[in-house]
Amino acid sequence: MLTATKPQDAAAVLADPDTAEGLRDLAEHLTPLLQGRRLHNVVDLLSATSDFIDMADDQLTQKLAKAFEEVVWAGWSAGNALRSASATAADSEPPTLWQLSRQLNDPEVRRGLFFIIQLLGAVGRQVALEAEIPEDD
Amino acid sequence: MKKRIVIVGGGIGGTMTANNMVSKLGVEIRRNQVEVMLISNSPWHYYKPAFMYVAFDMYHKAELRRKQATLLRPEVRFVVDEVEAFEFSASRLHTRSGAHYDYDYLVVSTGCLPAPERIEGLAEAGDHFYQFEPARRLAQKLRTIERGRIFITVTFPKTPDVPHQCGIAPIETTLMVDELLRRRGVRDRVEILYTYPTVSQLLRNCLFMQKQTCEVLPQIFSDRDIHFKRGFTLERVDPDARVAHSTEGDSEDFDILMSTPPIRAVDAVINSGVSEAAEDEGWLPTNRRSLQLKGHPNVYCMGDTVDLPISKAGGSCHNQSPVIIDNIAFDLRQGATPAVYDGRVQAIAQMGLEAGMPLWYDYDQDVQPTPPTKVGGLMRKTFNRGVYWATARGLV
Ligand SMILES: Cc1cc2nc3c(=O)[nH]c(=O)nc-3n(C[C@H](O)[C@H](O)[C@H](O)COP(=O)(O)OP(=O)(O)OC[C@H]3O[C@@H](n4cnc5c(N)ncnc54)[C@H](O)[C@@H]3O)c2cc1C
Repeated sequence: MLTATKPQDAAAVLADPDTAEGLRDLAEHLTPLLQGRRLHNVVDLLSATSDFIDMADDQLTQKLAKAFEEVVWAGWSAGNALRSASATAADSEPPTLWQLSRQLNDPEVRRGLFFIIQLLGAVGRQVALEAEIPEDD
Repeated sequence: MKKRIVIVGGGIGGTMTANNMVSKLGVEIRRNQVEVMLISNSPWHYYKPAFMYVAFDMYHKAELRRKQATLLRPEVRFVVDEVEAFEFSASRLHTRSGAHYDYDYLVVSTGCLPAPERIEGLAEAGDHFYQFEPARRLAQKLRTIERGRIFITVTFPKTPDVPHQCGIAPIETTLMVDELLRRRGVRDRVEILYTYPTVSQLLRNCLFMQKQTCEVLPQIFSDRDIHFKRGFTLERVDPDARVAHSTEGDSEDFDILMSTPPIRAVDAVINSGVSEAAEDEGWLPTNRRSLQLKGHPNVYCMGDTVDLPISKAGGSCHNQSPVIIDNIAFDLRQGATPAVYDGRVQAIAQMGLEAGMPLWYDYDQDVQPTPPTKVGGLMRKTFNRGVYWATARGLV
């Protein structure tokens, strides 16, 4: 077993019987990939990963991070709202129609309704964009 | 007073810039202090690199374009109109519909146009893949050629050290032609001759505009029995005899002449009168670091319309756009323009129909060619079909 802490040259490492045995095992394990030239794909994938790391720059990272934050923000806000609404709804008796309409006195409920209506408006505008097909140019 | 930022051109440069601009200036836009406007002369956005695939029957029209409005964040005010005149000194522009717009900042990303008519006989006898309809006509020929010779020429702008559009495209398409003809079983009856002009930016007598890539090309071509020739600068074409003549005094006959034709800026940019480019090519004189139009610090230029020695490629726009956005945002907020473009371009070259090669370079460092792989090809396909649209939307 390789336990020495000082650096060894490559030949000494390979001479270690445990290492040699491990390598032999690995080679055997890799044989189908090697013989079928399928290991090439794995090497190419590594090389592409390395290319991507070289190509990525600060601006790309900033954009990806921002997109990530926006997705997380949307999920987080929706999650918070769902959790609190569902806790209140689950823990109370179902309101009567009269009690329900009195909820509209709460400005935050009206804000929420307003939000939903705005959301529907924004969805409608996007759907309208999809609807018309411009002439060919 | 509300500041207005106008972006002209709904190609890749203008679209990603509009989207990322409203994202960067989100607070000012909500407070109604800033307005971002995009003016483009088409309601459509084309993925231009796909024209190359059209020549090989690999793309339908509906797949390579989207409605421009569906690519924009709702905060962008989008106007379909054509800018006819830029009045840079008055910070005003005029459009075909008769409207005029004053701006505090302007971004010009109007691209470039193929101009085969600038070489005698080329428009009649030559083919190219830099626009949709010409690419379709070329596809028809590549689909049916049974024997003969496909002759490939590349023309650089006359303005010194300005490249043609998408530097790697002639090599990409040459390799694609080879593979297509092999698939069709006619390759042994069709000769492919790739030529390159004597002067390509700062290089002389090469096969590509960058030295390292030029050095690996002979091997790549020989392996595929693609013939090649340096020092052929297309001067004129005889459409009846089907012969191409070079300024070096050479002549080559052809059955298909697949050219990278001359290019020029769009009319409104040429007519603005600020260009110093040769032969009325119209490239905008651009500060290579800040990307401001020389003499007009509130105007920024990007993409194919600039006079920089950097590739006219979407990969250039991708790196120029954040610099411009940063400089405008800094200028608005702090009166400074500190962001600097280092000439960086990234791309994944299509090497034949299936393989791809990621590459990147900047003002100081040329491309380091690596072996094309299937993984690279898959990356390119993924980009073509999906990632491009995310890039235009400003997500990547
Ligand atoms: C066949 C081919 C293959 C390519 N391959 C690659 C590649 O592999 N990788 C790569 O990075 N790049 C590639 N490119 C290059 C890339 O497509 C361009 O560099 C890129 O599109 C330039 O972006 P742009 O914004 O400067 O101009 P464009 O994308 O050309 O957009 C210009 C926009 O301005 C609009 N416009 C023009 N004039 C006016 C006016 N007067 N008023 C209003 N609007 C106007 C046009 O309608 C258009 O929407 C390729 C190009 C082609 C043609």
